[in-house]
Amino acid sequence: MRRLIPIALLLPLLVGCGNRNLILTVDILSFLDPSSRVVNYNIPIPIPSDTVEVFSDSLNLLQGVSDVTRAVSASLDVAASFDNTSGTATGDLLIYFAAANSATPFTNTPIADIPFQLLAGQVTNVSTHVDASPALAEVLTHDRAKVGLRIIINGTSYPIQGTETLTKLTATVIMKKDL
Amino acid sequence: MLRNGCRTVLLLAFGLSCGVAHGQMLDARRLGMGGVVTSDVGDYTGSNVAFRAVPKGTGGSGSIPLPLGLIQYLADHPTFDSKDSTFNIYEVANVLLNPPLTIKLWQPDEVTGDISIFVAQDSLQIDLADVKRVIPKDSMKQGGVYHVGGFSKSFGKVFLAMSPLIHVKNELTLSDNLRDALRDAVPFTGNTRYGLTDEARAQAAISFQVGYAFRALYRASQAESQNADPRRNGSTSLYLGAAPKYLLGLAYGDAHSIAGATTGDTLFAGSNPVTIDMDTQTRHAVVGGDGGMGSGIGSDVGAVLYWRNFELGLGLNDFGSQIRWSTTVRRHAYDDSTNEFTTTEVASGERFVSRIPVTTTVNVAKRIGRTTIAGDIVNGDFRTSMHAGAEFWFGMLALRTGLSRDQNKMAQFAGGAGYRLGKIGIDLAIATNSRNIERERGAELSASLSLY
Repeated sequence: MRRLIPIALLLPLLVGCGNRNLILTVDILSFLDPSSRVVNYNIPIPIPSDTVEVFSDSLNLLQGVSDVTRAVSASLDVAASFDNTSGTATGDLLIYFAAANSATPFTNTPIADIPFQLLAGQVTNVSTHVDASPALAEVLTHDRAKVGLRIIINGTSYPIQGTETLTKLTATVIMKKDL
Repeated sequence: MLRNGCRTVLLLAFGLSCGVAHGQMLDARRLGMGGVVTSDVGDYTGSNVAFRAVPKGTGGSGSIPLPLGLIQYLADHPTFDSKDSTFNIYEVANVLLNPPLTIKLWQPDEVTGDISIFVAQDSLQIDLADVKRVIPKDSMKQGGVYHVGGFSKSFGKVFLAMSPLIHVKNELTLSDNLRDALRDAVPFTGNTRYGLTDEARAQAAISFQVGYAFRALYRASQAESQNADPRRNGSTSLYLGAAPKYLLGLAYGDAHSIAGATTGDTLFAGSNPVTIDMDTQTRHAVVGGDGGMGSGIGSDVGAVLYWRNFELGLGLNDFGSQIRWSTTVRRHAYDDSTNEFTTTEVASGERFVSRIPVTTTVNVAKRIGRTTIAGDIVNGDFRTSMHAGAEFWFGMLALRTGLSRDQNKMAQFAGGAGYRLGKIGIDLAIATNSRNIERERGAELSASLSLY
């Protein structure tokens, strides 16, 4: 609970200067277990819209920020790499955020939906920038939140095997003072 | 909870900053001469008790400020409503540091701009952008000795005076690591302590004073028959003054605080990645409460020598002033393992002697005809300031110029003019100053009436 007390104490200095913004950039990826950033997928036979849940995790965010600020917008930068050893497919990489009291983040509408295409023996890099997401702003200004990553694969050639690595997950929240 | 805490921190910060406001001069004549003090310019606060014995000269005997800045303030002032989107806490602070009694000709750019924080599991970087301007390179020192109001009555060479006395001081020092992180946006690192120390003291008393000021040495000059003013008649005169005082202590309080946060191996790993330490020792006494009133003695002493129209003055205010108190000492410590503060009473009824810091004023002046050239050095709690200025009279018109080194160790410049109409004169002065939270140069126009 006390994890970010030093930052909370600085907030009066940060938020007292006119009609300006507090720009909070959080490298969410760095807070995740390194092993959860990487997932090996293996789909030997045709299964429509096979879903791979890469991870679902809780985040401890900046305690106290929401007490003195209000989020006006948030954006998200996501990047991932697919090292596909066999098979071909199309698919979607989905990022979810939810409040800490949610049982699972996957019941919400995904914040980001990144389409991709996998080819045998090729590395595919995908990325996207999600701009001005009110839902994301709402979630990230609480003390805790849940984040989840899901991959949906629609195969055309089997077996589909490879490794997915999440390489970037950065959220930027723009807040205004609310003393 | 945090919201209230933030407001408390803000109020505390601004309350501590208010001491700087004492540098504001409303006497346009003195301001136009760079703020210099002589026996006939600007010594209305009694910087040298010996000045009381010097005959009134042609240089003026009083000043009535004209607070034209209020008009400017009413036309355009910052909002005090923290809910207002234009609320700027640094502008509010500048109003407190710089009461709107003079017209602001120019001021430092307001503290504004976006603040950026980057957080990763093992990285924290705070870019305060424009707010860096309010974080000093060294410790933040505020305070001073204030003789607020009061009255005095002279009976020949003897005078009686009574005045409230307030002494406040605060020194906040950030550790090098914390200062670098806030001023230079140096990323926070693991296994590092980010700390601060604060030394605060405040005391209030009523001063009852009996003084005696007289001419101790005298050698007449040929010109004295035409002019009784020792500043300009070429005589050799030494005036001395002394005023012992009894101090009735109303309240005393001090606090010595150390606080910090020590990061772990990884900045944001685990449930409790930083170790917080806070330890404060307070001492207090207050009339009607713990310890009751205090009592003490002190004195103001001074001397001024005139020789061939040259003036050399030395004034010591609150020389040897101290107050005895019966104090209560408490220690407030934070235990990181239990996340709780504990308060223990270290002593009750402990005898303690507080001191009022001496304010020393050394001034020199030379009068040549109707021209005055003057300089002074004023040394007080925390700060030493220097002023130099000149006044040139052409008929009823006076032109003035001056410069000073202020409490922020910055050179400031001044100029002004005055026009005398019999016993009254009107004066205008333009002067620069750094009385703002950014400690940057601004300029003001001051107006006042002089009494001759």
